[in-house]
Amino acid sequence: MMRVAEKAKSEGNIKIVEDATCTFCGCLCDDMVLTVDVDAKKITKAKNACVLGKALFLNYEEEDRPFALIGGKEATTAEAVEEAAQILANARFPIIYGMSDTTCETQRKAVGLMDMLGGTIDSTTSVCHGPTGMALQGVGESTATLGEIKNRADLVIYWGGNPAESLPRHFARYAVTAKGMYTPNRKKDRTIVNIDVRHTKSVPVADIFIQVKPGADFELLWALRALVKNRHVDPNIEKKTGVSMKTMKDLVERMKNCRYGVLFFGMGLTMTRGRHFNSAAILSLGSDLNEYTHFIATPMRGHGNVTGADTVVAWQTGYPFGVNFSRGYPKFNPGEFTATDMFVRGDADAGLILASDPGSNFTQAAVDHMKKIPMIVLDPKYTHTAKLARVAFTTAHYGINVPGTAYRSDGVPIELRTCLDSKYPSDEEVITAIYRRVEQLLIAKKRSKGANNKRQKAA
Amino acid sequence: MSLRLNLKKKPDVPVEADSICPDKMEGLSLKDISALPLHHGNEQITVGDLFSITGKVNGEICLEGDTSRFKMVGASMSKGRLLIKGSIGQHVGVAMSGGEIIVGKNADNWVGPEMSGGRITVKGNAGHMVGCAYRGGQVGVTGGEIIIHGNAGNEAGNTMRDGLIAVGGSCGDFTGINMLAGTIIVLGEMGWRTGAAMKRGTIISMQDTEMLPTFTYACSYRPDFLRLYLRHLRKLGLPIEDAWISGCYHRWSGDSIELNRGEVLILDR
Ligand code: SF4
Repeated sequence: MMRVAEKAKSEGNIKIVEDATCTFCGCLCDDMVLTVDVDAKKITKAKNACVLGKALFLNYEEEDRPFALIGGKEATTAEAVEEAAQILANARFPIIYGMSDTTCETQRKAVGLMDMLGGTIDSTTSVCHGPTGMALQGVGESTATLGEIKNRADLVIYWGGNPAESLPRHFARYAVTAKGMYTPNRKKDRTIVNIDVRHTKSVPVADIFIQVKPGADFELLWALRALVKNRHVDPNIEKKTGVSMKTMKDLVERMKNCRYGVLFFGMGLTMTRGRHFNSAAILSLGSDLNEYTHFIATPMRGHGNVTGADTVVAWQTGYPFGVNFSRGYPKFNPGEFTATDMFVRGDADAGLILASDPGSNFTQAAVDHMKKIPMIVLDPKYTHTAKLARVAFTTAHYGINVPGTAYRSDGVPIELRTCLDSKYPSDEEVITAIYRRVEQLLIAKKRSKGANNKRQKAA
Repeated sequence: MSLRLNLKKKPDVPVEADSICPDKMEGLSLKDISALPLHHGNEQITVGDLFSITGKVNGEICLEGDTSRFKMVGASMSKGRLLIKGSIGQHVGVAMSGGEIIVGKNADNWVGPEMSGGRITVKGNAGHMVGCAYRGGQVGVTGGEIIIHGNAGNEAGNTMRDGLIAVGGSCGDFTGINMLAGTIIVLGEMGWRTGAAMKRGTIISMQDTEMLPTFTYACSYRPDFLRLYLRHLRKLGLPIEDAWISGCYHRWSGDSIELNRGEVLILDR
């Protein structure tokens, strides 16, 4: 499995890997040039990487940890697979959660596993841009790839996000200083607007900064929608949002009169009061503006392959996250089948956490329930969640040790090149092994149930 | 004497119990009722596995014990009565078209989603999404009544098309969002962003509430129709004050982003 990159040049113990992909954030920059010291098993240079990308590559080190732990005791991968399969096969309401830092190939296998078990599958989407997925179903979206935005957009609005710190190359690769086909003069050909509740590190690149009062994004979006449609807006809006009517009208004129506009939005919208309605409001604003010009609205996604998780789960089940199979067909209901809700209510009786660490960021009530039920964790690191798991697998890093596919935040699939081998199995290998064993156990369970029924009938 | 289903032991995981419904039990013997399916997580069990069953089948079912983990009770119900002594889980009365459900304590999220007739009464509090459409759905409740004596969560009446939702306590945010028609009456306080994107319909509040910037004040008047509604709710046990029946209401029109034909009536205190 541990295939080495195809596009690599070697000289002695030094290997250069071109066009590698950084999986740290949703930008999925695929122009990395990595210098690898094969003997030392270290990446010594990561050309083109931003500070976060450099941290990912240059700090990479294969930790010398057990292949697996069962109840905190060292075990082989095979023993851990057996234990995990037993837990899952005996569960009535199991859940798989995470999946944003692994390959699409693994995500696909995870969907198959939950389908077979009649469990629930959810990704970190439910705690970041899940509200956008819910809004999409209600209002649709006007969207484009980041490549199209780079080449065409002359008005770029960032709302409720701080890409300078969370997606550092977003400005340079796609939307601010990137040279595009119809924006050859880079930033000079674009107007950049930043709307946020606070002055973030992304503000200095903006030509216009609009500071909105906390909790008033929905009202501001609603007022902008009304102004775009030439409808009445109550003057009280200035007090509510902290934004003057003059500023709103100026922004609306810019939006209507640009050649190609884009609204990028982040978790400042999706995870604050109003959630999916905030997302619906900004998506609707983007669509409304198409009466006048070409406009799109698109989320800025954080985790490396969280978009892949949505995409894979959607093409397998019809829904992007929070999907339950207990009746034998997929059912989607955020709030009911999303991980944090299931843990807080105490619904799940077993959990498999795939490449994520909810133990460090879920609410205390959710973590308390996770401590009560058997948990299985797959992660290259010994995370908080791994510490409370019954079974913890050490797996190889996707994008460094493991090849595969990941989706950029605009839904473009990117191939991952590897640069170093790992002694640990990939997530996909572990999930596949668990799948096979669970399949055997479920068949055996069915048979013994059938035999019991027969015996009862005969008696 | 009605049919009594007494819970033997609270289930470990949620149970989908759409077979607990007068329509589905009509004409069945107690043995047949005992064999009706329930979905205990990913496992199919029977009603008899979890309940002791007594009484006789006469269109009225009485559910006893801690049923807060039971979902979809009374799904697609069209007649009869369902008396739930304790609390009930999610989706009670989903797609109901007739009959009556009375919940003695609290109801979890999604009370009466997409119902078209009948009445659901919750004596305690209800969760989010009372009388709503499911995600992606274009039409929510198309008829019937949902009466919540306590508080309700967010999005009560989301995309409602007709019918009545009354809340004796307070409501969360986005009451009547995307409302197409129908009536929502809230006696307590409303959360934020009431009536956002409503096309038509009426939302009535007995407490002052902040309006979205896309609503305009129209007039103050004493709506005749409201007296009928409030007297009806008083009969159903909600604490309606005389001053509300004869009171004057401020009428706000909206949402101007949509048709602007909805109204929010706020009691002039
Ligand atoms: S912007 Fe994101 S994907 Fe690109 S190099 Fe930086 S961390 Fe990696």
